Amino acid sequence: MEMDGADPNGVPGEVDRKRWTYLDRILNRPGPFTDEEWVPGEPNIESLERMKILVIGAGGLGCEILKNLALSGFKDIHVIDMDTIDVSNLNRQFLFRQADVGRPKAEVAAQFVEKRVRGVKITPFCGKIQDKDEDYYMQFGMVICGLDSIEARRWINATLVGMVDNDDADTLKPLIDGGTEGFKGQARHCIEWAHIIAWEEERKDDTLDTDDPEHITWLYQKALARANEFNIPGVTYSMTQGVVKNIIPAIASTNAIVAAACCNEAFKIVTSTNPPLGFPGTNNYMMYTGDDSVYTYTFEHSKKDDCPVCGNLAKNLEVDPNMTLEEFIASLAEKPEAQLKKPTLRTEEKSLYYQSPPSLEEQTRPNLKKKFSELVSDGEQLAVSDPAFQIVFKFKLVFKK
Amino acid sequence: MEEPLTETTPPILQDDEKRGRNMTDNFASGLLAASRPRGSSCIGQFTILDSAEVTEADLGVNFFLEPDDVGKFRAERTCALLEELNPDVQGHCNTEPVEYFLTQSSDTHPLRPFTHILVIAPIVPELLADIVSHCLTTSKPLFYIHCVGFYSDFSVQLPSAFPIVDTHPDPTATTDLRLLTPWPALSALVEEKTRDLDSMNAHEHGHVPYVLIILHFLEVWKETHDGQVPSNYREKSDFKELVRKGMRTNNPEGGEENFEEAIAAVLKSLNPSTPSSAVKEVFEAEECKNLTHDSPHFWVIAHAISEFYKAHNALPLPGSIPDMKAQSADYIQLQNVYKTKAREDVAEVTATVRELAKQHGHLTQVDEKEIEAFCKNAAHIKLVRGRPINPAFPGQKLKWGQRAKAAVSALTKPDSLILVHIAFLAYDEFCASHDADALAGAPRAPGSEDSEVEFDAEKMTGIANTIIDNLINEAGTRIEEPDYSDIGVRVAQYVQEIVRAGGGGELHNIAALTGGMIAQEVIKVVTKQYVPVDNTCVFDGVGSRTEVLRLGADSVL
Amino acid sequence: MLKIWSMKQKQQQAENAQTGKKKKVTAAQLRVQKDLSELSLGSTMRTEFPNPDDILNFTLTIEPDEGMYKGGRFHFSFAINQNFPHDPPKVKCTQKIYHPNIDMEGNICLNILREDWKPVLNLNAVIVGLQFLFLEPNASDPLNKEAAEDLKTNREGFKRNVRSSMGGGSVKGQTFERVLK
Repeated sequence: MEMDGADPNGVPGEVDRKRWTYLDRILNRPGPFTDEEWVPGEPNIESLERMKILVIGAGGLGCEILKNLALSGFKDIHVIDMDTIDVSNLNRQFLFRQADVGRPKAEVAAQFVEKRVRGVKITPFCGKIQDKDEDYYMQFGMVICGLDSIEARRWINATLVGMVDNDDADTLKPLIDGGTEGFKGQARHCIEWAHIIAWEEERKDDTLDTDDPEHITWLYQKALARANEFNIPGVTYSMTQGVVKNIIPAIASTNAIVAAACCNEAFKIVTSTNPPLGFPGTNNYMMYTGDDSVYTYTFEHSKKDDCPVCGNLAKNLEVDPNMTLEEFIASLAEKPEAQLKKPTLRTEEKSLYYQSPPSLEEQTRPNLKKKFSELVSDGEQLAVSDPAFQIVFKFKLVFKK
Repeated sequence: MEEPLTETTPPILQDDEKRGRNMTDNFASGLLAASRPRGSSCIGQFTILDSAEVTEADLGVNFFLEPDDVGKFRAERTCALLEELNPDVQGHCNTEPVEYFLTQSSDTHPLRPFTHILVIAPIVPELLADIVSHCLTTSKPLFYIHCVGFYSDFSVQLPSAFPIVDTHPDPTATTDLRLLTPWPALSALVEEKTRDLDSMNAHEHGHVPYVLIILHFLEVWKETHDGQVPSNYREKSDFKELVRKGMRTNNPEGGEENFEEAIAAVLKSLNPSTPSSAVKEVFEAEECKNLTHDSPHFWVIAHAISEFYKAHNALPLPGSIPDMKAQSADYIQLQNVYKTKAREDVAEVTATVRELAKQHGHLTQVDEKEIEAFCKNAAHIKLVRGRPINPAFPGQKLKWGQRAKAAVSALTKPDSLILVHIAFLAYDEFCASHDADALAGAPRAPGSEDSEVEFDAEKMTGIANTIIDNLINEAGTRIEEPDYSDIGVRVAQYVQEIVRAGGGGELHNIAALTGGMIAQEVIKVVTKQYVPVDNTCVFDGVGSRTEVLRLGADSVL
Repeated sequence: MLKIWSMKQKQQQAENAQTGKKKKVTAAQLRVQKDLSELSLGSTMRTEFPNPDDILNFTLTIEPDEGMYKGGRFHFSFAINQNFPHDPPKVKCTQKIYHPNIDMEGNICLNILREDWKPVLNLNAVIVGLQFLFLEPNASDPLNKEAAEDLKTNREGFKRNVRSSMGGGSVKGQTFERVLK
């Protein structure tokens, strides 16, 4: 409202960019690691202000993320969360006060940050991420995830990857994912961009007794099962160990660390003020553990070659050309990472097999007995859909020689 | 009075806010109960020392300031907004300039009331030196923090002996079953439960706890191996086969889970339990060997346990056993055998502690609970030897002392962040030799003016190179080309990135992350749980990674 | 942002160069494939694919089992372009029928096929809409104004006209196609 902050009668508010004195130095001056083509100044401020960024979750991590983005110069932030504020949230989720109990988290968090950081617009949506369709997600330039549910994380990952259209740059949404709960975060191995995860405890109130064999075994097996289920590469004993330890005493500070690491990546991606994690061929994963001194592990968490969620990027799939389509479909059902039980398949040219509608099923049924070599050629792309999955998986068929 | 002090000089850092918040959270959650100092009922206070007034620029980095706060005291406003977060925590602020606060004439040191001190750079080196020496003589933990642009680092100055009993070791590493040295009660249980192994029905045979299976077959093994247990990998593999032969396979599963557990446990369980080097370090410490009338409890118990170790060639038994396939009654019986032995060991150590108390005339009685906790975690206790923080005085050589050689070897590692730390040392020297104004009070950080960025970077790089050369000299070594030039190139890059941030400018994300890490470290130090950073942690927000370095001076003199 | 994207594209191009250009399943095909698996046709509708390999072009047959058009068999052609789902499918009635919302050329007035189409809508939404047109012909937004007028002013007369047109008779000088089963 005030154009001149020096006005002694005025409310000191947003005055030009005085608030952003420190931020602007980074935006206006090249550094030793910035790209040679990087243009300092105005374009970076513009990118920050134009970037529509979605924060998923307004809990412990989400609150931190909202605050950090607002103070990183982002202006158009959206937040989605289905929960209302509970008394037990007040200690860690620092945007909430006693009087807010019962109100939607997304709304209260948005209002609080808007009030503290004038000029930032935060649009809350109180509901499930699944309530929104691709159109909703398509409007954002970037998504930061601070979720505690593995299902929700998988859903958003699959949805974003499913939206990627290789001929349209706008469909590629960098996803930065922060996690603070044990092995669960590992399931996001196939996301291409920056992932940041910290080992963290779930047992704030329920003190873990290191001599309670039942408790430890439970944790250990849970972690192992998780690793096996996703066939996670690079799971070493010491990583598993790190999870089972899982005992950093301060949830709030771990949230602060993980959220800040995520937002730092978002800032770098949008402004190019420094190289972010996540370029192909560079590190894209940072792990933090703080129970024994401080240890971080930053590395390139590569996509699994046959990750079905990255289907849009057409993973190679080796097939025996003499195999029948029927046999192939049976083998899909056994793939542990996909479990496509009722797949429908096509190439660009051919409808190989359609489970429905009935007329198409009938018309394509004869293909089941045919050999691959009769139906497709080496190197062709195969699209597989299944009622159990929201997205369509893409494979590039490679014939076994 | 127990007060952690947050001490700052301009500009106030985001860290303050984070630290305060995170600390308040934990005060409230009762985590501090375990470490509440005796006789003290008040805990959970913090004081911010900062004389600056809130500027517009502060609003861009500190979330705990409101737009209307511009022109008011920064310490006051941040303190008020932090207090809002937790009504159980008392915040205080002091708006005196740090140099006046520290030089006030008084019989006692102005920092005396505070228990933990955090200093955020830049600060005049003489003042830092004063704080360092006060903390050293009073055994107070001190944190010294830098946060500029994409980089941060913090050094922790712990007391010269900072022992930790509750290190929260990895639970899978803590199982200590003593299978190679069973005591009579355990041997008796083995005899009782495995006597009729061959004639057991399928259910019984499939539920003999694996610990007893291993112990049983060890006896079998010894009969054919001159009474010796399997000692190397080959023998252990043979032993595994022996156990496997004992497993019944004529059942639908084609095997038995308890025997599989036994086989899987052979390699890791049949090792003599020798104390780790960290434990030996504690036993060898002067404080442990030579108790006095006012020795802290930790050392009294450590001494008693070292005597226990001398007598039994083993540490006290922790007494816990892992989960295993077993009938509940058998499992509980086995658990009791271990627990009973553990209690006997605690009793023996307690008796020694009481005896030592008499000998040395200890004034306070060591609590039994304390002894028990120590015995339980004896294999994992840790002693951190705090080293003094080294203030960087302009034109003076830093003293790296015993750490010089290790620091030089870090220099030559291409991915080591020690050069970021050295860049921060150069930053301190730069600030100390450049005043913000003619008043000679506040230091000027490099890069404040666009026109001086290059000049400042060059100057700071020069300082950094001198620090590196002095370090190499002190270590009595040299670094050959092209490594030496490469170090010069890298440190110049880190310096440029710091100068780019301008006048010590912070990025909120980096400050928040650093504040989070420091909050965790403060909690670890306050609660004496987990292992704290020993002693310098560097964060690189460009590569998103950290490195912990063991630096610091040999002494303040 | 742009930089990531261009790197990504380079990577993609390199991959293509390695393996030779092979046709990729198009975005429209992917989406239609997904939509087809979600169709619920029930007993009153069926699809027919003249060329089963081309899922973008097919016909839908509706046989209403209630309402004024009960007993009829109505055919619709679906033509989906490569910009689907950003563009709606083009749907036409292939018979000449007497219906207030369908003109003599087979054009259909259904909001979700025009102004209210959204990419989030799927083919099932379209066929449900079509089905509804036969249960509840709508006089307020007509393509066949005479039929709409009949429906508004003389519901019984309208019903008779429907029956007669379905039998291949003529209404007000227009001869209609026989659509009875």
